[in-house]
Amino acid sequence: MEVLFGAMIEGAGILFNPETLFITILYMTGGLLLGMFVGALPGLTTLTAMAILLPIVFFLPPIFGIPFLLGIYKGGIYGGSIPAILVSMPGTGAAVATTFDGPALTRKGKGRKALEVALFSSVAGDFTSDIFTIFAIVPIALIALKIGPPELGAVLFLSLIVISATGSGAFVKGLLVMVLGLFIAMIGQDPIGALSRFTFGVFELRSGISLLPMLIGLFALSELLLNIEKKASAYIDAKLKVREGERLTWAEFRSCGRTIMRSTVIGTSIGIIPGVGQVVAAFVGYAAAKNASKHPEKFGKGELEGVAAAEAANNAVNGPTLVPMLTFGIPGDNITAILLGAFIAVGMRPGPQLMAEQGPQVFAILLAMVLANVLFLVVGYLSIPAFARVVRIPKSLLMPLTIMFAFAGVFAVRNNPTDLYVLAFFGGVGYVLRKFHFDVAPLAMAFILGPEIERALSQTLSLSKGDIFGYIMFERPITVVILVLTPVIAWYLWRRSTKLRRESLGMANQEE
Amino acid sequence: MRINLMKMVSTAALMFGVSIGGAAAQDFPTKPITLILPMGAGGSHDLNSRVFTSIIPQYIDQAMIVKLMPGASGQTGTAAAATAPADGYTLLFSHNYFDQLQQHVKDLPYDTTKDFVTVARLNSARFCLIVLADSPHKTIEGLFDFGRANPGKLEFAHSGQWGAGMVPGARLLQWAQVNANMTPYRGGGPSLRALLAGDADFTVQLPSTIAGQGDKVRTLACVNDEPVVGSPPTFKSIGFPTELGEMHRIIMAPRGIPADRLALLREAFAKMQEDKTYKRMMKRLGEDTNLMDGADYEKLRPVQSGTYKELVDSMTKG
Repeated sequence: MEVLFGAMIEGAGILFNPETLFITILYMTGGLLLGMFVGALPGLTTLTAMAILLPIVFFLPPIFGIPFLLGIYKGGIYGGSIPAILVSMPGTGAAVATTFDGPALTRKGKGRKALEVALFSSVAGDFTSDIFTIFAIVPIALIALKIGPPELGAVLFLSLIVISATGSGAFVKGLLVMVLGLFIAMIGQDPIGALSRFTFGVFELRSGISLLPMLIGLFALSELLLNIEKKASAYIDAKLKVREGERLTWAEFRSCGRTIMRSTVIGTSIGIIPGVGQVVAAFVGYAAAKNASKHPEKFGKGELEGVAAAEAANNAVNGPTLVPMLTFGIPGDNITAILLGAFIAVGMRPGPQLMAEQGPQVFAILLAMVLANVLFLVVGYLSIPAFARVVRIPKSLLMPLTIMFAFAGVFAVRNNPTDLYVLAFFGGVGYVLRKFHFDVAPLAMAFILGPEIERALSQTLSLSKGDIFGYIMFERPITVVILVLTPVIAWYLWRRSTKLRRESLGMANQEE
Repeated sequence: MRINLMKMVSTAALMFGVSIGGAAAQDFPTKPITLILPMGAGGSHDLNSRVFTSIIPQYIDQAMIVKLMPGASGQTGTAAAATAPADGYTLLFSHNYFDQLQQHVKDLPYDTTKDFVTVARLNSARFCLIVLADSPHKTIEGLFDFGRANPGKLEFAHSGQWGAGMVPGARLLQWAQVNANMTPYRGGGPSLRALLAGDADFTVQLPSTIAGQGDKVRTLACVNDEPVVGSPPTFKSIGFPTELGEMHRIIMAPRGIPADRLALLREAFAKMQEDKTYKRMMKRLGEDTNLMDGADYEKLRPVQSGTYKELVDSMTKG
């Protein structure tokens, strides 16, 4: 422990060296701006940006190059929330939960407030989880190692149940849509043996349905269709009265405090479990906020706390996610894989040796992450007015523009015409489902988590060598606990959702 | 600091397709070359390509742009490259398992041998078999003996069905007549985690990955041709035919590429081999720079196909 503490102090010395600090900050700010830009534009992704710019790191000292990439990473996550809030267009799975309340706030003329609360919650969540990671890197690493396929499968299954239960519709409807999502995820190649399923000999279907066109179709396109149908009368109407929108007040931010704290704890805990990730964190954070709220009926209709809950949770995942990469050299996802490459390229090969041999350098980079959050608060805050101006675009222009961006962005990712059909198709699916009061979020989540659950299940079956019951019971105690908790939590959520629904139905009748 | 900034600017310029260097008038290439990777970001192919595409522009006077096209275990990207015009402006960065093994386990919409010709074998990755440091299996023979005495008991964590980490291991087990339980993971990282957590008895990893693990793991055998000082036995020394335990990273062009263009590209890769920056960067990644000329590699492909067919047949019928 003392050794670690010494390394920490030395690390701070490296980062805050007056000769280099200014340049580090410059690189990091550049990364943050770039990340925000690519995150906000559909079609450019944080992942691609990091992959393309990785070679820059080869030529720079670690203390400039790595913070630059970290800047892109952090900026990108917030960038993805901007179109989710303004035009209901999630660029990644992690931004889906933000579309529950973000666009509704924008329509009420509170787009700027939503962007601000998203920024503050993101930074708060990320900052806290980074600090926690620095102090708890060893225990986090030990826990992460304990999570094998059986535990991961059980956690993901539980998450899926929680997500389906906390949608806006009835629990049963959520489950139905979830099953549809699981089915759609099976199109293409199975995650274990790579055999084609439900492709009907169509080559384009072999790689499966791709995520981005599906998300944009389900959320953005269907939203536009619904608004066109309403003759757009209510669509961002308020913008004319309040111009860019009011700013967030201190009282409003403070009222989100508990939610942000709760989501940070949830996000950090989920980050410790490798393979679960931001998507689940955002949903579980949102679900928990809705459950704890005194007025859960407001969630999904433009509740600041909803945005705060999702944003704090998905950002809080970041800190612990890096731990398995740093301590074992095992990247949890594609972004950490690129960071792993960057670390190797600058001569810091992650693994058990890294901490012992280059502890101070590692801590310098971890502290740089904390610094990136502070910088991001400034950079993000200064850029919000520019983004908030989007709502001043007349709706007669904004809607066609959104459609154009949706199609252009989806095409730009892979230059694959099939994705355009997928986008249009899921636009239709989303529209029909929402017309019948189905929540589309469980579909998207089941689509994202389905293959992961399937992989974990197949691996567990393989590991058990035929005796699945004995294997789980006697060798996987953590899995048993999660599996026992699942029906209990499901029952509780089902009870709550029926009660809520009864209340909200009553209110809806009054409104009409 | 100024030097660093200069370097960064020039790299960025290269990245965005501005050609740098003494450009003599020539008719190929006159525009950036697209390099299709039929895999996702962050893998070893991605990292390797980031290195050489930032160096190769000095030798072809044009940028080389990486285009990641993952999906359908390599089929999406490979199919796109197969149908691209054979003018040298579209290349494919693949490996021998996509190139020669996949045809025996899948119904592919292309024929890699007929559709592609090798520009260069950039380098190869040679796998090692590792166990945990406190494993009871001290030697490769010990592991095999245990496996033969207890069929199905050994747990082999590999990086994915018919993938680069699985084929050498499966070949080795088949050769040693060991029946182990094989569980596929999503890439080398997760299969390494399975070993470290004690979920698996052994796994097959790249030396560069093993280097980072320090004294946590023990290497039982490697695919090197010649033993390195202090290293574990080579697969060759225990009698196992080594040539099939390597992953070759290969740059392919659609067949039908004009001969002079193919020659120009092959020459550029050969020249890059001597580049100091290239060597230094690959060394940092822990990768080899053992280039093999495209013409020589062409001779390997039919041999690989035959051996892979044998392996697939023996594993799927029985």
